[in-house]
Amino acid sequence: MHPHCSIVPPHLLAHLAAVDDPRHAVAARAARRALVQLDPLLAGREEAFAAPVPPRTAVGRPLERRISDAGGQEILPGTLVRGEGDAATGDAATDEAYDGLGATDALFRQVYGRASIDGAGLPLAATVHYGELYDNAFWDGERMVFGDGDGDVFGRFTRSLTVISHELTHGFTQYSTNLVYEGQSGALNESLSDVFGVLVEQHHLGQTVDQASWLVGEGVFTDQVQGRALRSLAAPGTAYDDDVLGRDPQPATMSDFVITTSDNGGVHINSGIPNHAFYLTALHLGGYAWERAGRIWFDAAVGGGIQANSGFRLFADVTQEAARARFGQNSEEHEAVRQAWAKVEVTG
Amino acid sequence: MRIEISRSGGFAGMTRTWSLEVSPAEAEERWLPLADRAAEAPQGEETRPERDQRDRYVYHIVIGYQEVTLPESRLDEPWKELIERARRGPTG
Ligand SMILES: [Zn+2]
Repeated sequence: MHPHCSIVPPHLLAHLAAVDDPRHAVAARAARRALVQLDPLLAGREEAFAAPVPPRTAVGRPLERRISDAGGQEILPGTLVRGEGDAATGDAATDEAYDGLGATDALFRQVYGRASIDGAGLPLAATVHYGELYDNAFWDGERMVFGDGDGDVFGRFTRSLTVISHELTHGFTQYSTNLVYEGQSGALNESLSDVFGVLVEQHHLGQTVDQASWLVGEGVFTDQVQGRALRSLAAPGTAYDDDVLGRDPQPATMSDFVITTSDNGGVHINSGIPNHAFYLTALHLGGYAWERAGRIWFDAAVGGGIQANSGFRLFADVTQEAARARFGQNSEEHEAVRQAWAKVEVTG
Repeated sequence: MRIEISRSGGFAGMTRTWSLEVSPAEAEERWLPLADRAAEAPQGEETRPERDQRDRYVYHIVIGYQEVTLPESRLDEPWKELIERARRGPTG
């Protein structure tokens, strides 16, 4: 069976393969066989069929990246220019995207045991050089898309690893909580991308909480802009303050929550509040933020407690519950999460 | 007639505004009918980004009495032309 011929999507196969009910033994075995066949490394190994598949195991295909080039047009996907294992092309955007996808996959796969964004080894696709002087980076539901910037305010978006990891985390969220992209649930969707976006960079650079910049998009502004980055998890509202662009509008607490109809109800603005709650949790715990604070947020995201329309309050409850479940009632971790949400005024 | 365009969202979440002057004839013939059609579209259909699109821009365009909100993924060619003209002109 060729992977593309499979009618059952890999994430469903992974789910089926993990079923431990004798009534579904045949289906589980068939799903395991399909998954093993998806993975060339495991193909033909009979013992792989019999091995138990615990939930959320990094089963499925190994990392597979596909970078395409839109050649300055607004057409997707563009021409494939670098596939998995191919040598560097010498084009900065292509190679930065390739490396950035690898660094993002490394955090999810090595630290949290999740194979790719869907948990079943979905190939990671990106398109670079999208549009003419296109000043944005986005996720279109299947791939990341990066513009070269207008050269006036923004340079190349792939210059910051956090932009790449932010976009890819939108894919992770699509396959986990799929938070609705509007209002508070949209701000949570944005915040998850910022949180795992900075964690990817910290993991890649081996930085502790104290060493990390906690900035999103450092280096994407041109020299003409007065600002270090687009957002700061450590100090929302301080990333830039420019004569022309104005200042970073992010709040850090509920007192400063912004009610607006623009930006899908301020999804990139009010994300400052859950962003800061994550930062405070990580600061409280110290060390490497991806180990405990990041693990709690990851557990919350995949645990099923977050609804597509969840607001900040429910998200705060689910992360506290995730901390309690993994580290124990009244553990240092549980306490750190509880205090963080109280400090940003989401809980009382 | 003055047309004001504000663009919010995007990865940066930064709101930018641009404006341009068009003749009353051009507004009547080209832009107001387009804006009327967009404004009459059922809420939640035309104003929301297409499913699973993230970090795209949202445009809010004001033409005289009419205003419309259009996600970037639903911008047709005439709107792109208008936005391009406004961006090239002096900002207001
Ligand atoms: Zn985003």
